[in-house]
Amino acid sequence: MERYCDGDARAFRELYAAVAPRLLGYLMKMAKSRALADDLLQQTFLKVHRARAAYVRGADPVPWIYAIAHRTFIDEFRKKQRAVVQVAGDEVPEVAAGITGDADGVRDEPPDPELTKAALEALEDLPTGQREAVVLTKLDGKSVAEAAEIAGTTVGAMKVRAHRGYEALRKLLGARKPQEARRE
Amino acid sequence: MSDVLDSLAGARAPRPGPLSAVLEAELDKLAPVKTRRPARQLATLAGISLVYGAGLVAMFTVRRDLDQLPMPWLLAAGLAWLLGFVIPCYLALVPRPGAVTPRWRWAAASAIVASIAFVVLGLVVHPTVPGVSKTLGWEHLARGHTCLELGVLGALVPVIVGALFLRGALPVGSRWVAAALGAGGGCLGGLVLHLHCPITDAPHVGLIHGGVVLVSALLSAAFVPRATEP
Repeated sequence: MERYCDGDARAFRELYAAVAPRLLGYLMKMAKSRALADDLLQQTFLKVHRARAAYVRGADPVPWIYAIAHRTFIDEFRKKQRAVVQVAGDEVPEVAAGITGDADGVRDEPPDPELTKAALEALEDLPTGQREAVVLTKLDGKSVAEAAEIAGTTVGAMKVRAHRGYEALRKLLGARKPQEARRE
Repeated sequence: MSDVLDSLAGARAPRPGPLSAVLEAELDKLAPVKTRRPARQLATLAGISLVYGAGLVAMFTVRRDLDQLPMPWLLAAGLAWLLGFVIPCYLALVPRPGAVTPRWRWAAASAIVASIAFVVLGLVVHPTVPGVSKTLGWEHLARGHTCLELGVLGALVPVIVGALFLRGALPVGSRWVAAALGAGGGCLGGLVLHLHCPITDAPHVGLIHGGVVLVSALLSAAFVPRATEP
C-alpha cells in the first residue's frame, strides 16, 4: 500500500491480486449476484484509489478496504433495494465450482455440492446484517472485533447478529432438508 | 451445520475480473500522494483552531467580570473546555496503531459525554460577580442566541479543518466522527464564550454555552460525513 501511495502502479496490482479474490467472495455472498459483486469490487477499488491519501503509513489496509466494500455494498443495496438481482440458477454453481477441495482448497474431502448450494441459498435468505455477520465471522475468518470494525458496528451487536444469523441459517437448512427428502 | 459453513469457508476464492477501464485510466496517470499523518494533523488542527479562537476572543472583547471571578473556577472551567476540545478531536483524527480508520466508537462516546457534561456543569456551577456579571434568567433565555451563534462560529474552523483532514478516510462511523469533531469544535466555541460572555445565570451558561457543544455536534454530524466518506 505504501509503494502504491508513492506512485507505484505495480504495487496497486499486487494489492489487487492479494485482496480482490477474498473481497469478491465476500461481495458475492452479500450481493447475491456475480455481476453485481464484480461491479461493487471495481467501485471499491476505485474508491480506495481515490481515497489513498487517507491511508496511514504502517497501517493494515485490508480492514479499511473491507469497510469501503461494506459501505459500497450498503449504498448500492439501499439505492437498488427493489431491484437487487436475484440469484439466477446458473450463478450458484459458479461459486460452488470453486469448492473442489483440490489444490488450494482447505478441505481434503469434497463437500456435498447440493448441501453447499442449499447453504448458499439459505445464506441469501438471511437479513443483510445477519448475512454479513455470518459471512465475515464464519466464512471469511474475521474475528468479531474485525467484523464489527468493517461493518461499522459494536462488537456486542456483531456477536448478536452472527449468533442470530447462524441460528437462522441452521433453521433454514433444517427446513430444506425434509423438502429435498420428499422430492427424492 | 458447521460442516456446511466449513465447506463454504474453505471454498477457493473466486477469480476477480480485470481492472475496470476507469481504474486502468487512473493508474496510467498514478502520482505519489502524501498520506495522512494523524498526530501531525491533530497538532495542526489544534494550533489553527486555538489561534482562531484567540482571534475571536480578541475581536469580541474579554468579559468585564473576568478579573473578579474566582480564579480556581476560571482556570478549571477553561481547562475543562480545552480538554473537551482536544479529546474528541484526538479520537476523531488519530486511529489506534495499525489502523486506518479513527476510533469512531470512542469518538462517539466523547461527543455524547461532552454534549451532556457541559450542559450539566453549566447548570450546576456558574459563579457570578454581583453588580458586574449579567443575568438573563429563564424568561430571557432566548436572548442568548447570539452566544449560541458565536459558539457555533467558534466550532466552524476545527470542524472544517478536521473534515479536510479526514477526506475519504471514513467508510464507517463517519457520522460519529463528525459529531466528535463538532463537539470538540463546540468546546472551543464554549471556551471563547467562557472568556467573552459576562452572563452567568444557570440557564444561559448551561443551555446556551453548554448547548453550543450539542448543536455543533449535531450540525457537524449532519453535514460533514459527505466529505469524509470515500
